[in-house]
Amino acid sequence: MNRVSRHPMRRIVAAGLALVLMVGWFVVRLVDIQVVRAAELNEASKDVRSETDVIYGERGAILDANGTVLAESVMRYNITLSPKQAMATESFEREAADGGTVDVARDEALAELGEVIGRTGAELRTQIDGELADDPKADFAYIAKRVDTDVYERVKALGIPFVYSEEVPSRRYPNGAVAGNLIGFVTEEGEPGAGLEYSEDACLASEDGEMTWLHSLKDWVAIPGSEVVNTTAHDGGDLQLTIDSDLQYFVQRVAAARVAETGADWATVTVMEAKTGRLLAVADVPTVDPNSPSSVDADDRGSRAFTAPFEPGSTFKALTSASVIDAGEGSPTSGVTADFRYLPPNGANINDSHYHGPENYTMTGMLIDSSNTAMSMFGERVSDERRYQDMVDFGLGSPSEVGFAGESGGDLHGGPDEWDNQTKYATMFGQGLTTTAIQIASVYQTLANGGVRMPVTLVEGCRQPDGTLTEAASDEGRRVVSEKAADETSEMLEQVYLHGWLADQWNIPGYRVAAKTGTAQVPDGNGGYQAGYLVSVSGFAPADDPEFVVSVSIMNPVKMNSSAASAPVFQQVMSQVLKKYRTVPSGAQAPELPATW
Amino acid sequence: MSALPAQTRPARRSAPAPARRLRPAPEPGARRARPRLAYAVVALASIGAIAVVQLLLSIAMTQGAYELDAELQKQAQLQREQQKLSDDLDRLESPQFLAANAEALGMVPNSDPVYLRLSDGAVLGDPTAAAGGAASSAALVPNALIDGVPLVTEQPQAETAKGEGGKPDSPADGTPAAPPALTDGLPTPATH
Repeated sequence: MNRVSRHPMRRIVAAGLALVLMVGWFVVRLVDIQVVRAAELNEASKDVRSETDVIYGERGAILDANGTVLAESVMRYNITLSPKQAMATESFEREAADGGTVDVARDEALAELGEVIGRTGAELRTQIDGELADDPKADFAYIAKRVDTDVYERVKALGIPFVYSEEVPSRRYPNGAVAGNLIGFVTEEGEPGAGLEYSEDACLASEDGEMTWLHSLKDWVAIPGSEVVNTTAHDGGDLQLTIDSDLQYFVQRVAAARVAETGADWATVTVMEAKTGRLLAVADVPTVDPNSPSSVDADDRGSRAFTAPFEPGSTFKALTSASVIDAGEGSPTSGVTADFRYLPPNGANINDSHYHGPENYTMTGMLIDSSNTAMSMFGERVSDERRYQDMVDFGLGSPSEVGFAGESGGDLHGGPDEWDNQTKYATMFGQGLTTTAIQIASVYQTLANGGVRMPVTLVEGCRQPDGTLTEAASDEGRRVVSEKAADETSEMLEQVYLHGWLADQWNIPGYRVAAKTGTAQVPDGNGGYQAGYLVSVSGFAPADDPEFVVSVSIMNPVKMNSSAASAPVFQQVMSQVLKKYRTVPSGAQAPELPATW
Repeated sequence: MSALPAQTRPARRSAPAPARRLRPAPEPGARRARPRLAYAVVALASIGAIAVVQLLLSIAMTQGAYELDAELQKQAQLQREQQKLSDDLDRLESPQFLAANAEALGMVPNSDPVYLRLSDGAVLGDPTAAAGGAASSAALVPNALIDGVPLVTEQPQAETAKGEGGKPDSPADGTPAAPPALTDGLPTPATH
């Protein structure tokens, strides 16, 4: 037996104690690292080799009724360089085609780079010198913004060491100015700037996510299992419109040509489905190309059809006539005797646009000649309150269901209590109150649809990434006037189309058409009226079974200051609509109604 | 039931005690020495094997990471390629470009709708000749994307076998250009 084994217990206790101490120390360290300082250490570890990347969610597309893409998200690239590094690099080596390397001098590289991004090498050199003059340590400068993939790849191929790039999610509008005023645009900062991009942002907007990952030191290869998605990205929904882009293109073209021809300030053309209230085309001139919104005035970038209310003028007589018939106070053949001037007992002073002696107008004849005095005599048979209520029921005085960005509701001049004696009569023929072009189209839609107003629809709904359609538009109609009142008004408007002074200019062979012109005075903002007029035509076809409403408004066509400026637009657009949708031509002619008695 | 056998069990004391005999105690460790070594070998070999397998797995993972990286780069490259081509396609199918080409080829729009009813051969609507004259409509509805893209009539007559990106095939020479050459033969689906 040796000496150590004399006290075996003491040895065991010592070893046990050492073991307990050691394990205890490990536990303390473990808790310290994993719990107490966990967050701090995690942060520190991230800084070492961890990278944080944005996962881009894709903003939804804007599609027309047939699925044609009007707006889509694309990746664009900003090209940047480091002025400091650029001046420190006299030349660099580039791989040559034969596998070797060639020396490229800095200025040579700048010239090549300039050629790709559409600037000159000297320009770039000036920019670099300027940046360095401001700050000798300048390490970052944009040299081109939002270049497309082609340019990006050509820049990459140059292999210039001090040139970098960054990804910028952007918007592209493949059809250019087609529906440009409706779609709006997204600003350079990625914020929705106008139009549907703005008003329907809730549907379109995406959410970016974020991920972190570790990479190897030299070649930046992701270390397996190190990717952590901190927040997931969400794509936006696709906005489904009722617009038909081919028709929209045609309508814009016709309107733009007419504006140029007549020297007008602006024009809007609206095409609506008579039975559903869906907008097939809403053209605004001047037209904005959302790919370069800054190329037109800020005032011209929205859609005036929604945002610019105007005094509609004589197109409004159709509404008042429907009110009179609906109230049982007249029919297409009931008559009045009207002079060119009418002085009602309340002290108002109503004049026609041209001189004429006493005429025995029927209501039909009143519309054909567009007589303000005769309209006043028919209109005063109905109470102001009832006329006002009809206007509200027709959708006037409040914005349409579309809810377009900056949409106006028009102004009914308060209400019957606030109308003065002149306004009481003026509101019968569309002066003294304002409406938008969309509202006028909606009034004609109601008359075309047997007195039932359908909600105005521009957006079909929002197609979510999972394929479901949310925020679907309502399709519930509302009766405004009796079917008899609407149909008789429609028959009178057919007589206007056949016998009005523009009959030759808006003739569409083979179809029955109902239409009315308007030549409205425009307030100058100081209580008076401007010299120019807002000329318009609204109507629908085929009148025997109305399918389409077309409403044209042209502001101040200086070379032709009458509704003759708008008639050819109406004719061309309506013809195109009827042709495009393969509408069967009307068989019979419209029944004749007497214009006088 | 359990109480019964206890009563019948014979008393222990009645059994004759076995005779005690002395014998040498077995050497401790002598017989266990061999099995202990085997355990150690097995344990060490297992650890070694695990280490080797882990090393191999780790190498395979790293290798995979590089392969993945290469594939991701290829994917990004192909996505950019796809983006470029769809950019081109969008340009070419925009109504402005189609209309400008149609006009360049001498076509004019006819807005008078006329139909032939097949059932009885009736002509619906009044046939009217196209008025024409709607030239240079391109500027009316601008599209910044098609600036500088040549029209069909401005294309060079000689077409290469592979249509150049961004330009439609020229119909002027009467024969449509050959489709792009397939480098790997016809694409076939990989099924199992």
